[in-house]
Amino acid sequence: MSRFGAFLAGLRFRTATPAYEAGETLDAYVTGRDGSGVRARIGDTVLRLPDADPALVDALVRLRVTSFDPETHEGVADVVEVVVEAEQ
Amino acid sequence: MSDIETDTDPPDPELKFRGGPAASAIPVAVFVVWAVVQSGLFGIGDTTGLVVGMLVGLIAGMLFVRGDWKTYADVVFDGMTERVAATAIVAWLWAGMFAQTIQTGGFVDGLVWAAEALSVGPALFPAVTFLLAGLLATGIGTGYGTAIAFTSLVFPAGLLVGANPALLFGAILSGAVFGDNLAPVSDTTIVSAVTQNADIGGVVASRFKYAVVAAVLAFVAYLVAGSTLPGVDVTGDAVGGATVWGLVHLLDIAVVIVLAVGGRHIIEAVSWGLIVAVALNLALGAADALSVTPADMLVFRVPETAPLDGLASAPVVGAVVETAPSADAAVGGSLYVGASGFFPLIVLTLLIVAGAKVMQRGGGFDAVLTLLLDRVATTVRRAELTMVLGTALVNAMVTINTAAEIAIAPYVRTLGRRFNVNGYRRANILDANTSALGYIFPWGGGVLAGYGAMQGLVGAEATPWFTSAMVVNPVTVWPYVFHGWLLVAVFVVAAWTGYGREYVADRRSDEVSRV
Repeated sequence: MSRFGAFLAGLRFRTATPAYEAGETLDAYVTGRDGSGVRARIGDTVLRLPDADPALVDALVRLRVTSFDPETHEGVADVVEVVVEAEQ
Repeated sequence: MSDIETDTDPPDPELKFRGGPAASAIPVAVFVVWAVVQSGLFGIGDTTGLVVGMLVGLIAGMLFVRGDWKTYADVVFDGMTERVAATAIVAWLWAGMFAQTIQTGGFVDGLVWAAEALSVGPALFPAVTFLLAGLLATGIGTGYGTAIAFTSLVFPAGLLVGANPALLFGAILSGAVFGDNLAPVSDTTIVSAVTQNADIGGVVASRFKYAVVAAVLAFVAYLVAGSTLPGVDVTGDAVGGATVWGLVHLLDIAVVIVLAVGGRHIIEAVSWGLIVAVALNLALGAADALSVTPADMLVFRVPETAPLDGLASAPVVGAVVETAPSADAAVGGSLYVGASGFFPLIVLTLLIVAGAKVMQRGGGFDAVLTLLLDRVATTVRRAELTMVLGTALVNAMVTINTAAEIAIAPYVRTLGRRFNVNGYRRANILDANTSALGYIFPWGGGVLAGYGAMQGLVGAEATPWFTSAMVVNPVTVWPYVFHGWLLVAVFVVAAWTGYGREYVADRRSDEVSRV
């Protein structure tokens, strides 16, 4: 990002419930357990990671969204890779 | 969607108290009550009195410790040896010497001359002071240093042109808040970036969108208040000393700002400023443009009985040696007065950081923040509001804002990550509210630092007209720290509306690096 761009970044009103589309990849912290899998909560949006290892809680991971419901702000995603391991 | 993860049980505190973790707040609580009673109700601004308050608090806290009291003593030692305390001490000592030397060199007279020449009247003076203090603080990165320098140098000048004292002190503190929040070399900026895993340059750039909104509103507020609040009467004779030559010290202030903004260490930047200030004083003093002598900056008052008493008449060295009666033997001058004026505040800082460490290790902070995580912060709006108000609350309680910031930082990080709020946003919430609250309440370190400097003006050589009636009681200044209040307000609105909010996926922080 340019020096000038850094000053303008984030200069907008950001929703509490960001929406994603199937196939989209993004980085997010795994924020907690969700049944047998885990979840990443982004604002008030929840992406469930049903097959992910519970040890990933607090790790920064790259996700690929497989489905997303814009009405309930909930979706399902897969872990593509672990970007930063969880702090012990 | 309120079922956020609740695996946040506080760790077992290593320091146990009778009465539970809440009792670990006793040292800080005793101090806060003492500070409010002493400075608020009794109107006594004696910093050494606050030192006694903190000592009493630390002793009171020890009586509630379960088990070996040595553990408590070790925590007190750990707190006193925190780097944050050393940072504040260094800033005070260097800025104190620098500010006192500029004052000795007639900087106040220069500002009064400029205010008269530019027709900056009482209405405009607080607003202009806010801008200049903000500029200096952004340059040197120490809000405390700015509060001290501007209270020593600009405050008396403002009174001479008829500005309202409480409003003017509020404007100085607002400038300090602005710089503390924005400066890349500010200790609070560095703490905010490092603890939230964000790069310092990116953090500084990303906080303009909040700081500028608050600053514009504050500037307008100072213009309005400046034209409505009355000043104090100062005898006309005092204005007669105004001279343009004092303004040469803008040069050494510029040296400090340029070096500090250029990334030099604060010790290096202020040292160079001090060297230039001393050189200008010597040169212009010798040319009779300024009424300053070498002895005004450093003097050894040697008793008549001392073996080297004859040095007073020696060339060169004699300029800083005077013969004095034995009872008056001392070291003096601006370097001495500037540094020594902070000794009580330095001791107080060490003890307060120790008190905060006791609260941290005793589980007091953990208990409060676990409650917030589990019961209050159930949506991203509420989480951000909790970060804003939690940071503000802790900073309102703890005098030294960097210490409070360090204590709350892990919780802002945890809370923000639970909602994937990114590092820049977390660092901005943390630093803005830390910077603001450190300069508002009577026990705030910035308020006390400025207040201490103001007391030094009473009967001082450079300000013989300044009486104790002109000293602003710290209890009366809080409504006038407009930028501090507005900065908190901007973040409350930002948390609620999503202004400036960024998630982790929106933008990745660069590597943390110190500017």
